[in-house]
Amino acid sequence: MKIELQHISKSFGANQVLTGVDFTVESGSVHALVGENGAGKSTLMNILTGLHKADGGTMLVDGQPTTFTGPLDAEQHGISFIHQEMNNFLQMSVVDNMFLNKELRHHGLLDEASMRKQAQQYLAQLGTQLDVDAPIGTLSVGRQQMIEIAKSLMTDAKIIIMDEPTAALTEKEIDQLFTVVRRLQQQGVGFIYISHRLEEIFEIADTVTVMRDGVAVSSAATKDVTMAGLVHDMVGRDMGDFYPERHPTPGKVALSVKNLTEPGVFRDISFAVHEGEILAFSGLMGAGRTEVMRAIFGIDRYTSGTVELFGAPVHFKSPAQAIAHKLGFLTENRKDEGLILADSLHDNIVLPSINGFRHHGLIDTKATDKFVSMLVDRLTVHPADPAAEAGSLSGGNQQKVVLAKWVGSGSQVLILDEPTRGVDVGAKREIYDLMNELTDRHVAIIMISSDLPEVLGMSDRIAVMYEGRLMGIVPTQTATQESVMTLATGNQKEAVTNGN
Amino acid sequence: MATKSAKFNLRQFIAKLGPLVALILLVILVTILSPGFLSPTNLLNLLRQVSINAVIAFGMTFVILTGGIDLSVGSILALSGAVTASMITSGIPSPLALLIGLALGAIFGLINGLLVAYGKAAAFIATLATMTIYRGATYVFTDGNPITGAKMNNSFLFQYVGRGYLFGIPFPIIIMLVAYVILFVLLHKTAFGRKTYALGGNETAAYIAGVKTKLVTVIIFTINGLMAAAAGLIQTSRLSSAQPDAGTGYEMDAIAAVVLGGTSLAGGKGRMFGTLIGALIIGTLNNGMNLLGISSFWQQIVKGIVILIAVLLDRKSSKA
Amino acid sequence: MKKSIRRLLVVGAALLALVTATACGKSGLDNGGGSTTKVTKKAPKNLKVGASLSTLSNPFFVSVKKGINDLADKKGTSVQIADAQNDTAKQNNDVEDLIQKKVDVLIINPVDSSAISSAVKDANDAGIPVITVDRSADSGKVLSLVASNSTKGGQMAAKYMIEKLGENAKVAELQGTPGASATRERGKGFDGYVKGKLDVVTKQTAGFDRAKGLSVTENILQGHGDIKGIFSQNDEMALGAVQAAKAAKKTIFIVGFDGEDDGIKAVKAGDMAATVAQQPEEMGRLALQAAYDHFAGKKVKAYTESPLELVTTESLTK
Repeated sequence: MKIELQHISKSFGANQVLTGVDFTVESGSVHALVGENGAGKSTLMNILTGLHKADGGTMLVDGQPTTFTGPLDAEQHGISFIHQEMNNFLQMSVVDNMFLNKELRHHGLLDEASMRKQAQQYLAQLGTQLDVDAPIGTLSVGRQQMIEIAKSLMTDAKIIIMDEPTAALTEKEIDQLFTVVRRLQQQGVGFIYISHRLEEIFEIADTVTVMRDGVAVSSAATKDVTMAGLVHDMVGRDMGDFYPERHPTPGKVALSVKNLTEPGVFRDISFAVHEGEILAFSGLMGAGRTEVMRAIFGIDRYTSGTVELFGAPVHFKSPAQAIAHKLGFLTENRKDEGLILADSLHDNIVLPSINGFRHHGLIDTKATDKFVSMLVDRLTVHPADPAAEAGSLSGGNQQKVVLAKWVGSGSQVLILDEPTRGVDVGAKREIYDLMNELTDRHVAIIMISSDLPEVLGMSDRIAVMYEGRLMGIVPTQTATQESVMTLATGNQKEAVTNGN
Repeated sequence: MATKSAKFNLRQFIAKLGPLVALILLVILVTILSPGFLSPTNLLNLLRQVSINAVIAFGMTFVILTGGIDLSVGSILALSGAVTASMITSGIPSPLALLIGLALGAIFGLINGLLVAYGKAAAFIATLATMTIYRGATYVFTDGNPITGAKMNNSFLFQYVGRGYLFGIPFPIIIMLVAYVILFVLLHKTAFGRKTYALGGNETAAYIAGVKTKLVTVIIFTINGLMAAAAGLIQTSRLSSAQPDAGTGYEMDAIAAVVLGGTSLAGGKGRMFGTLIGALIIGTLNNGMNLLGISSFWQQIVKGIVILIAVLLDRKSSKA
Repeated sequence: MKKSIRRLLVVGAALLALVTATACGKSGLDNGGGSTTKVTKKAPKNLKVGASLSTLSNPFFVSVKKGINDLADKKGTSVQIADAQNDTAKQNNDVEDLIQKKVDVLIINPVDSSAISSAVKDANDAGIPVITVDRSADSGKVLSLVASNSTKGGQMAAKYMIEKLGENAKVAELQGTPGASATRERGKGFDGYVKGKLDVVTKQTAGFDRAKGLSVTENILQGHGDIKGIFSQNDEMALGAVQAAKAAKKTIFIVGFDGEDDGIKAVKAGDMAATVAQQPEEMGRLALQAAYDHFAGKKVKAYTESPLELVTTESLTK
């Protein structure tokens, strides 16, 4: 089977997301698709499987122009899409999940014996043995991934699309996954492999296509490209000029953490961040960075260790306490944790500082109006209408509103968890400028980021975590992508631990 | 984007003024069909009838704004009323008895709040359970018999609560208005009110923004219990009798008033003014249909249809 | 927020207008004192009658309603009937609304005799005579009460059961809604009579409801399989008990109360042993007749006893 996407274009409203994209995948090959968030990878795949309709361009399947009516139609034609978020029913058993909506029946009743036998056979093809009656939620993510692949085989998939399959896998599970991919490849299955992890691309893919801003900027055999070339194609510019220059003048220690431990989540975390400094936290997904910050901020608990704020020991049991001590936390997930989408910008921005606006028990609305319009102007939130619903704003502007909340509440230590995720390029730069301004005013910033270039471009020091441990803290000036990645994958070769 | 707010927006219009417009239309309709409706005595009569449901619904507005529900208000009404009535009949001074009655309601509400906030029980289930418990406690306390007695009839203060007049206005209406003003200010003018909206809009975000979500939840349920008890005292005084099955089904009328007033059951959206209008709509329907001599069986159907229309309009208007 | 304040003011202003509109700006309590007005004679066809019934989901009160309506239709009287749905507060509202409608006379079948008092007083204040049906009002002035003697009815049932089952037979009692006067009075009559003569093994409430009567009886039969008879304080619960007994394949001597259509049918079929039959239609008729008499200038008796009759399988098949 061969699928050729030719000159695919697509726009959502005024937003052109794909422009003349060509992409080809064949049975028996692994074609990697890389690019930053928002580059158009998902949209392209959704067009391939028929979830979206292209505005222009054609798709040829084995030379014939084809459009699928939807993912189910695509699946029936041998194209299977394994999403990053696996849509499993965690309480249901493996076999029930595998046969969901495709149940085998015998005289109208479920034929459980046959389903169980077939499930085991498909899993055996992948070299996997597991208890098919176990609830799927009790299995590791790696195992669930195998089950997803087995499900694809059940539908006789000729082409399997995998979106970030290794994001949450351990090294060992990744090895197993690659073994299975290679085995199926030899049996003639083709793969589209979407990943942020460039090293993996070199290990598994035959061809690699880089997308940026809705355009396929390069497509070549993996053996002919280099890591640096890929990164350049992805970012589209030299990394240096994207980030504002930093002139850190670190003052005294603002927040200091010693031996912070919560069994099973993180242990022995020690670091310090100074006034006017940006300390980045790098690491793979699930390394425990967010968890450490949540514990410090009082959302989750920690069992042992100490936290000092400007020299005074503190142990926050709730965010309210942390905020009272001038701590701010921009959470990773702004829609679920950062904003009240149905409320106005005004109400969102005022919320953490609301107690300060009481006058004889009532809210001084004149003061809050002034406060909000000052912040909205200062952070160039668009639209600059304090009455607008937070949910109606773009991602970048929503993020600015969350920042305004914490800037407004007078945070002296600001934890920013993935501050630019899902934010467009222009707004990113504005957020970076704001971070610089805050540190100029002696605010200490902790920035969790999975975006390595951002970590290298916007921090003064980098703390790297791996599986709940702090692997080391390195000065940004001497750090490289490789040195950070080495620490982030659990190797401590050249780590320079720097306690403060 | 900027022009959007200036432009006439049907959706926002329905959401904001819909209930008021509906009430006005209803009043016009009933007046045409039954001219006696607009007489001052009937209007005062209507407002007095509305007061019990309105007082409960004001408290319920807070609960529903947080995305919760309280099914136990009818039972709290009965239990607080019964305890107060028995205290008065056994000779306890009525001011003290009334205060204890209110305090009891607050405590029953507090228990609901603790179950929801700290027991992490779903509000529907927790208050379904306490609804049954408080009702059972009322039967145990009264042994199934209504509580009456000469002392209740002789206590001027107690009689005044439900049957008194102040400058020609029945006292229950005064209580309703005072409760409205206090809760209106609490919801729309204080930090506590903002926190209520934040909690209903997104509990996690509110928590991370420093709102003591559990405390707010507990206070809201306590207020709601207090309001239910206040309604219970009005009713007990008005009937000069505490009925063990008083208030059965009142939670539904209160919820209906809140929803008719445009408050979303999902939480985060709604206003106290809407609830007042919602309670008036229900009261006008009851009173108007009685005046028109509509059979009570049809009355229920009409009430149900009105609630349905309100909910459907609300769904339409809340769509983006 | 500013808008809301404006709305608040509007509401406040509207209420102020109301106050000034009410001519007598009185402060204080409803006095509740009955005023003795002279009766203006009125012919039945000129009478406006308001009736408030406790519930129309019970056939008994539907029959009361029928009794009122049938007589009213014959005489050309206009009647408006409100259903309190067994809610004391709703009944007070209903009565107030009827007073607002300026009816000439109120026929009230109270949900509860104590809770209705304030509404009766309101009617007294408005100079509207009140006739109560089935239950009376604890205070306030009532022109006449039309009712069966429930205590006597309980005794009739007790006597019949002792006669048929013999002394010391094991029986159960299904009680009505806790606190309702029918529950209290029927229970009082029955319990008082059987004391020391029958072994009442359990008394359970089934809320005058057929479905509850079924489930409660099922439970009773689980726990006390050896009972010989059941006294049910109304026919609805008794009919539930009949179903439970049938399902358990037991012959139980079931005596109901009210004599509603379904009850009589069950007695005729032998499913129920007997029912203490009230005559609800007659009650409704008597109540309206009392109103006619009043407006014809005749003196009306303060208590009109509506007859009771023990309907048994034997008496029907005779």
